[in-house]
Amino acid sequence: MTVELDPGAATVAAAAERLGIDPARIDAEFGVVSIDPERHLYSVLVDEEAASGAQGRAGVEGPFSNPRIEPFGPPRP
Amino acid sequence: MRVLIQLRATPQLRAAMAAGGPVPPSTTEAAALVPAGLVLDASFEPVPMPAPRLDDGDGRLLALSAPMEFSTAPGDVTQLVRGTIPDDDSQTDVISEAISHPGIVGVFSDPVVENCLTCIGDPPVGNSAKVAQLLEVPKLEAAGMTGQGVNLAIVDTGINVAHLRAKGQPAKLGAGKHFTPAGVTTDPGKHAVDHGTMCAFDAGIAAPKATFLDHAVLLSQRQGPTVMSGLLSDALRSYAKLRRILDAMPANRKALVVSNSWGMFDPEWDFPVGHPGNYSNNPRHPFNVTVASLEVAGADILFAAGNCGRECEDGRCNFRRRPVCGANSHGRVLSVAGIDTRRQRVGYSSQGPGRLAAQKPDLAVYTHFRGSGVFSPDPDGGTSAACPVLAGVVAAVRTKFSATRLPPAALRSLLTKTADDLGGLGFDFDHGWGAVNTTALLDALNGVPAAARRRR
Repeated sequence: MTVELDPGAATVAAAAERLGIDPARIDAEFGVVSIDPERHLYSVLVDEEAASGAQGRAGVEGPFSNPRIEPFGPPRP
Repeated sequence: MRVLIQLRATPQLRAAMAAGGPVPPSTTEAAALVPAGLVLDASFEPVPMPAPRLDDGDGRLLALSAPMEFSTAPGDVTQLVRGTIPDDDSQTDVISEAISHPGIVGVFSDPVVENCLTCIGDPPVGNSAKVAQLLEVPKLEAAGMTGQGVNLAIVDTGINVAHLRAKGQPAKLGAGKHFTPAGVTTDPGKHAVDHGTMCAFDAGIAAPKATFLDHAVLLSQRQGPTVMSGLLSDALRSYAKLRRILDAMPANRKALVVSNSWGMFDPEWDFPVGHPGNYSNNPRHPFNVTVASLEVAGADILFAAGNCGRECEDGRCNFRRRPVCGANSHGRVLSVAGIDTRRQRVGYSSQGPGRLAAQKPDLAVYTHFRGSGVFSPDPDGGTSAACPVLAGVVAAVRTKFSATRLPPAALRSLLTKTADDLGGLGFDFDHGWGAVNTTALLDALNGVPAAARRRR
């Protein structure tokens, strides 16, 4: 999920409040990751159920996919 | 076996061809070979072939190195038809019949022709020294562009510095600027020799004195069905750290090059196109947002175009169309296609258009060469190798031109405008704008007008 937060308070608790979910539903290891400092946007990882509950809230965007990525090489037939 | 039959043009055949109507090959002298086993291709009408003039001097007939003359006089021109003859012993019957027939000049092979693009499994084409020569690295060095003092992040499977130094590269590692996912037990610069080490070697070809930042995103323990896969969220954390590193740089020395030889092979790993949470086509996806943010802040970001080229794609590719997607197709990055050291596109290099920005890839850069030895005897291959090769060139330029002085968008523009055009005229989806031309790039950086560059 993308969350707009005050840069001085970009915490799991603040993100959870913005998302309207229990802070325990946010991946603590991933944390709150800045994606656009100029626009005060942050990314958090949540499970699908929590994400669906947070959709449409002000300052929130998502859920977005978190696809697998792989190195392109060495090429395999 | 496919064959061409060369026929002396009889008056009847000449008349039929002069009349302009269809000339079935069965009406030619070649029909005499049918009982012996020739099967004529009825769709291939006789093709006239000019006759080489006999040389009455000391030269040899059909000496291709000598000047040649040909006659198109009706009495001299021969005709070609095609067909197939048996592959077994009865083939000699057809040949014997042809030799003895007064109307037949000869029977020639008609081999299948196909493109000769370098593909997966082919041996290396050239080596890293050749790549350095093609990139005119000595000119970069003469201009003081070695990557000295430039941070070059390899976002990959981790770097092994010992391997690079054993290969003769200085391989300087930055301190405190790396990213290692939780759970990974190896330290930056000491990860297993693998894909990331190859990328670092290839970046070091043009920027041997760059300072590597080891962002071992693809070692993430968050799987990923394979050991060497990760999740896009791991790359998000890496980029957040890169942003902090960039923001801490003084303006006059702001330079961060980020090389990414990874991506998504399968759209099944993503929300479908049109879903608001999609990654491949969606500029609002957080990773695509962070790429834009990092570039605006002053980072040069490069992504491999991918190995899903139509001619011989990687077996993992599962895109039906437009495989250059997500950040690999971002308008604020350099999307890198692959050419071998003969400057021929490798058959597995993904072709555009891109999904986020259509005009992708941007440039075609060298790959499929003997280099790092990481996968020896296999080459440093894929657009995986091409991307860091270009990242090295960018890092070399950044030795003298900070991002404050020359923003990333301006450098991308110079690279594409000075590139050697490959493929079709101008931009094309196979090669982008073409191959790096270091001389032209240096001239452009030094303010030499384009018209003056063209006169050289």
